[in-house]
Amino acid sequence: MIGLENAAVRFGSRTLFRNITFDVPVGRSLAILGPNGRGKTTLLRSVLGFQPLAEGRRHAPPVTGYVPQHGMSQAKLSGLDVVIMGRAVRLGLFGQPSAEDREAAQSALVQVGACSLAELRYDRMSGGQRQMVLIARALATGSQALVFDEPTSALDLGNQARTLALLDGLRMRREFAIIFTTHDPNHALAAADDVLMMMPGGGEMHGPVAEMIEPDKLSELYGVRMGWVEVNGPTGEVRRAILPSFAGIQAA
Amino acid sequence: MYDVAAGPARRGLGPLRLGVFGVLVLTLLLSMLFAIGAGRFSVSVPRIIEILLAAAIDPDVAQAQMDERIVLLVRLPRVLLAALSGAALAVGGTALQGVFRNPLVSPQVLGISQGAAFGGALALLFGYAGVVLLGMSFVFGLSALVLVGTLARIDGRTEVITVILSGMVIGALFGALVSIIQFVADPNTSLPAIVYWLMGSFSTATWARLGLAIPGMTIGLLVIFLLRYRLNLLALEDSEARSLGVNPDRERWYVFIAISLMTGTSVAVAGIVGWIGLVVPHAARILVGEDHRVLIPAAALIGAAYLTFIDTLARTLTAAEIPLGVLTALIGAPVFGYLLRRYFKETQRA
Amino acid sequence: MLAATCAATASFADPITFTDQGGRTVTLAEPADRIASIPIPVASTIIAIDGGTSKLVGMNPTAKSAIVEGVMGTMFPEAKEIPSDITAPNFIPNIEELAATNPDLVIQWADYGSDMVDPITNAGLNVALISYGTEDKTRYYQEMVAKALGKPERAAEINGWRDAVAKELAEKANAIPVEARPKVLYLGRALSSLTASGNKGNYNGWQIELVGGVNASGDVEGNGTTISPEQIAEWDPDVILLNSFEAELGVDRIYNDPILSLTKAAQDRKVYKMPLGGYRWDPPSQESPLSWMWLANLLHPEIFSYDLRGEMKTAYKSLYGYDLSDDEIDGILWLGMQADAANYAQFQAK
Repeated sequence: MIGLENAAVRFGSRTLFRNITFDVPVGRSLAILGPNGRGKTTLLRSVLGFQPLAEGRRHAPPVTGYVPQHGMSQAKLSGLDVVIMGRAVRLGLFGQPSAEDREAAQSALVQVGACSLAELRYDRMSGGQRQMVLIARALATGSQALVFDEPTSALDLGNQARTLALLDGLRMRREFAIIFTTHDPNHALAAADDVLMMMPGGGEMHGPVAEMIEPDKLSELYGVRMGWVEVNGPTGEVRRAILPSFAGIQAA
Repeated sequence: MYDVAAGPARRGLGPLRLGVFGVLVLTLLLSMLFAIGAGRFSVSVPRIIEILLAAAIDPDVAQAQMDERIVLLVRLPRVLLAALSGAALAVGGTALQGVFRNPLVSPQVLGISQGAAFGGALALLFGYAGVVLLGMSFVFGLSALVLVGTLARIDGRTEVITVILSGMVIGALFGALVSIIQFVADPNTSLPAIVYWLMGSFSTATWARLGLAIPGMTIGLLVIFLLRYRLNLLALEDSEARSLGVNPDRERWYVFIAISLMTGTSVAVAGIVGWIGLVVPHAARILVGEDHRVLIPAAALIGAAYLTFIDTLARTLTAAEIPLGVLTALIGAPVFGYLLRRYFKETQRA
Repeated sequence: MLAATCAATASFADPITFTDQGGRTVTLAEPADRIASIPIPVASTIIAIDGGTSKLVGMNPTAKSAIVEGVMGTMFPEAKEIPSDITAPNFIPNIEELAATNPDLVIQWADYGSDMVDPITNAGLNVALISYGTEDKTRYYQEMVAKALGKPERAAEINGWRDAVAKELAEKANAIPVEARPKVLYLGRALSSLTASGNKGNYNGWQIELVGGVNASGDVEGNGTTISPEQIAEWDPDVILLNSFEAELGVDRIYNDPILSLTKAAQDRKVYKMPLGGYRWDPPSQESPLSWMWLANLLHPEIFSYDLRGEMKTAYKSLYGYDLSDDEIDGILWLGMQADAANYAQFQAK
């Protein structure tokens, strides 16, 4: 559904990445991991079509449900109005949104569980609220491809939990091809089927979550030792998380 | 779970909004009636109504009397032209502020008015008027915009501050070119015509001039009106807009052409009238909010009523006519100063 | 009758001193042989006083146009060759061109401030300032110029004639009751914009009052103020005088205008363009008494009946030593254009 073939991006003499090939079909969710400055955002922009490729090709549906990290923070529009923008692609140049568009936008808000945000002013919402609205907007486009730029980076833990639950929920519906970038490998565990790791010094690794999220690969990716930890989940089940070696404190 | 600190938004065409629009339409009508009734030559209100009705019933009958001619040949086209220009300038400013994502721009700030003035002065220098003058105003107004866009584009991005500075540069450039034209113009024929026209006045308004202005202004207004929802989208970051199916570069051009058409026409028939495109959009925003679907029509109504009123003042306060630019600046500058403070206070808070 | 003197007066020994109208003391070691004039009317005054063009070395472009368009160019064809780039039409001097004419004396206005004067004195040139607006001022500066030329007796003749005619007119005009005085509107400009002047410092206003009329635009502030057709409709003048500065301005401008053609003046066919003789008859000049007689005959044919054609022939003989032909008089009085105006038939050749 959406992906790149033998793609490369260069800025001047610097090659950000080359020979990248991946495809995310409908029903799968891909997490992109990598250290800062490695080019996660550029890769995302290439997939979205905002970044021209030096080599290779991109394939994607005509409209993608894009959730930017920060959207239009100045806009004094209501939450519902922001979501309605997702319907723009159906409207054409001179189109004005109709009641049908309003309903579709309303139902998108319902899907993300944010009906209460419909009448609130977007520029006065908190970061977490805004993200819910932007996700609803991406859903409202009707695209089967959803692309999230660092959906968890700017959120506090509470909102991270909420967002991850939403991402996982969208994955489990098996209706979308989802791509998201993240700093935290645990987020890939929580909400992705596959992982693309952009290794330092060039080169990428690609595979299912179970294969990719493991200490050796992650240590190489981040340059710090990573290890598995067991925690108790909300309903008493045992869960595994992967943490860097500096986490926690020496046990007595 | 989420803090509900955000305030409610106004949306759509609820009863409050309809009320506001009703008041705006009424204000416009009153402004126009007041304008038709005001003037050095006194005509009583009943007589005005009589004259207007007679003309409405039979537009072709020749007007034989002085008061008929004053009302129908002098005041009526002038009032209509002022209203139309006010709407065009206000809508042009609103659209420009939307596309540039900044409330501090206007056709004059970006040098479009000065470009149009140059085009018109050039036409007058060579002895052309009418359609040629109009065409040249449009062409050079548009080229000013193109130059600003080109100058401000660094690495494929256009920062707003760069746009405003580029606008100042291009505006100054065209202003200097206009001065050169005045310098070389024949002081007995073309120069007085150019100077008089540049001052900004509707005193030369006739039905013929109105006919000249209508196509450009109505097409421009219509295009922006049709694009009013699209303007909400064009106010987004380019990448965000593209992801929503918008082609920002191309669609911005449609807006620019429409704005240049309106500004060029306005300058062609009445010289440079500043401060409308800068101040009226703000007044409209205060009344109906940011959504361009209602902002554009509101700005049009307010602009029309405002300029009609100002023009009436300009020609009735004293025996001599006060140039429009003087009055719009006297009122516009303090209002803009106040808005500037509010804008900076809000951006600091955000 | 005026007698012309041709002999140069002998003032070799004494230097010439006088106070100009800027309050400055001007001294000339001997009569000026080369005079340049920045104000418009004085160029032809110098020619009249001196009886020729030899002493005039520079003039205003608008004075040049009067010479080219009018009979002065026929009487003194060489006047068309005298430089006129010593100043811009707005009286800002071009010092280099001015200095190149090597003048003994430069005439400049006192009324526009020292910025108009200082550059000239700074260049080491001798300047005499004159002031505009009243009959007294006019007589004074004509005396001044004659003194500077070493021909004070010429001023005595010219001013003596003015004095006599003015007294005659005032005597008869003062007896005219207020109701019988027609409202006269003089339009300083009429082609693109319409301008009129109030009562202060307005020579045309004074002229109108002198011959028993009333200045229709008396309540206008300032001189050369732009007015609207509507204002003129409100005044509804009995007589309209058109300026002679705008060469392309004809009486059709009034008769073809939908508003102005309905004024009493237009309806009674009392629209007259001011004649252009050795100089224009609107501003004060050496030919002013002819202008007064012309206007007096037009406004009050029942009281005044000067033989204008005869007076013109006599005046031109003594002012310029020239025999005016009937055709030339017809041209000066614009008989081709306004022969059918009210009361104008009296000016036809017998």
